[in-house]
Amino acid sequence: MDRKVAIAGFRMAAAPDLETTRERLVFELSKGLLDDLGIDRDAVDNFVLCSNDFLDGRTISHVFLGPPAGGYMKDQTKVEMDGLNAFIYASMGIISGQYDVTMVLAMSLTGSQVSPYLYFDYSLDPTYDRQLKLLNELSAAALEARSYLAANGYPEELLDAVAVQNLKNAAANPGQARRIEGVSREKVKGSPYYYEPLRELHCYPPTDGGCAMLLVSERKAEELTDKPVWLLGMGRSTDIYFIGDRDLSTSLSAAQAAQRAYAMAGIKDPAAELGFAEISSPFAHQEPLLAESMGLLEKGKAAAAYEAGDTAVDGGMPLNPSGGPLGGNPLCAAGLIRVAEAARQLRGEAGENQVKKADKALVHGQDGLCAQQSAVVILGT
Amino acid sequence: MEETKVVTGAWELSTFKFNVEGRGLQLMLKHMKDRKLMGIKCHQCGTVYLPGPFYCRKCHIKIDEPAEVSDHGQVMTFTIGYADVRGNPLDEPRIAPIVKLDGCDSWIMGVMQGCAPEDVHVGMRVKVQWAEETTGSLQDMQYFVPE
Repeated sequence: MDRKVAIAGFRMAAAPDLETTRERLVFELSKGLLDDLGIDRDAVDNFVLCSNDFLDGRTISHVFLGPPAGGYMKDQTKVEMDGLNAFIYASMGIISGQYDVTMVLAMSLTGSQVSPYLYFDYSLDPTYDRQLKLLNELSAAALEARSYLAANGYPEELLDAVAVQNLKNAAANPGQARRIEGVSREKVKGSPYYYEPLRELHCYPPTDGGCAMLLVSERKAEELTDKPVWLLGMGRSTDIYFIGDRDLSTSLSAAQAAQRAYAMAGIKDPAAELGFAEISSPFAHQEPLLAESMGLLEKGKAAAAYEAGDTAVDGGMPLNPSGGPLGGNPLCAAGLIRVAEAARQLRGEAGENQVKKADKALVHGQDGLCAQQSAVVILGT
Repeated sequence: MEETKVVTGAWELSTFKFNVEGRGLQLMLKHMKDRKLMGIKCHQCGTVYLPGPFYCRKCHIKIDEPAEVSDHGQVMTFTIGYADVRGNPLDEPRIAPIVKLDGCDSWIMGVMQGCAPEDVHVGMRVKVQWAEETTGSLQDMQYFVPE
């Protein structure tokens, strides 16, 4: 990259119900972040908003969110995908030289909606999948989970191990929405099945939330932060919509997106070179599935890695040391929150969950049924 | 000719929940009972909004200073409607102006009566026609009439 991109700061919010308006959440995230950095909206060239019209309940939802973000008479555009795509799009504007300072802001209040998981019905093909009345976000994830476990000969207990590790990390992270004290495998196993093999505690909790982040050029980074976190590489890939055309035991989109990001960041051996990863895995099985697909864990060895503690905060390849999406997953903001959590680690601000090797990290984001689309960025200090 | 099959679907609109930002609207409704219009003023740029938001849309700061606005103003633009917003024909043409009330920077929309459609013009002075009995609701402000 000719021009470098740095994260200068961020603000996050996540809870089962934030009891706020969409506008107030956006205002408080944006204004809070600008106050943290000691600047105001005049210092920002460009606003990239990330929301979803269906989740928001209003068409062209960003027109309502631009003013509380501070975007009056500024360049404003919207990404209607996961927040990591908004992050990548915003970065491109800085790399191109068009902007020096861009606010990325992603949000949704999907936790306090009436049917949080069921919105996915409206994203299904209306003439076939929706007519079958068998698929939704949870059942699709369950099919993927079974496929992954069977292909690798992993026991269902792997899901419990992943959930326990994530929920323990989440309990130690004050920013997370779902914080369960004294979580254990028994507690996870005692939660009801949604769709076998996925139980309630294997699935993300419906979450309200958002994330505001300020991306800056190298020149501005010197002015605005003592702890810049740099974008080193990025990649994206989109698989086919129809899950009958995919091998659900692996993720081609994550594999390809990661390879593109590694190539850009000059990473040859991701498992050795990366210190940790924040992965958008809203369902327990997706964390090892995606980590294997991206070369962070050896294929077929995930169960052993979790048993040995390799993926824990103090392990060799910590996965979701923040607690990940099982601790909170506000749609749209999900991937951007993973970036912010990775930045907290890279700045050495992750408290109890601080990993030892915090110099380079992978962040993954996804959209669609069974991670149809994946986005990956590599961040470093 | 190719056959087209129609597949119907239902949208559960109750999926959405909207919390309301109360203060500015409540301030406005409370004073409407006394036939007064109360907006909120930005202490930085001086912009007066009605109904008042919790932040200045231009300055991007929190605001909460009440500011009374006149119930007289002028027509900034208008349209004569022959159908409602869903496309159903109206019995009578409807005059819908946007009015800048004196002392207010944001413009408000309403219905105009007491004047023939051909007599409305941009810049025309108008005033609020209040309900006989005010209750502290948006219906207290019935329509605009020529000043």
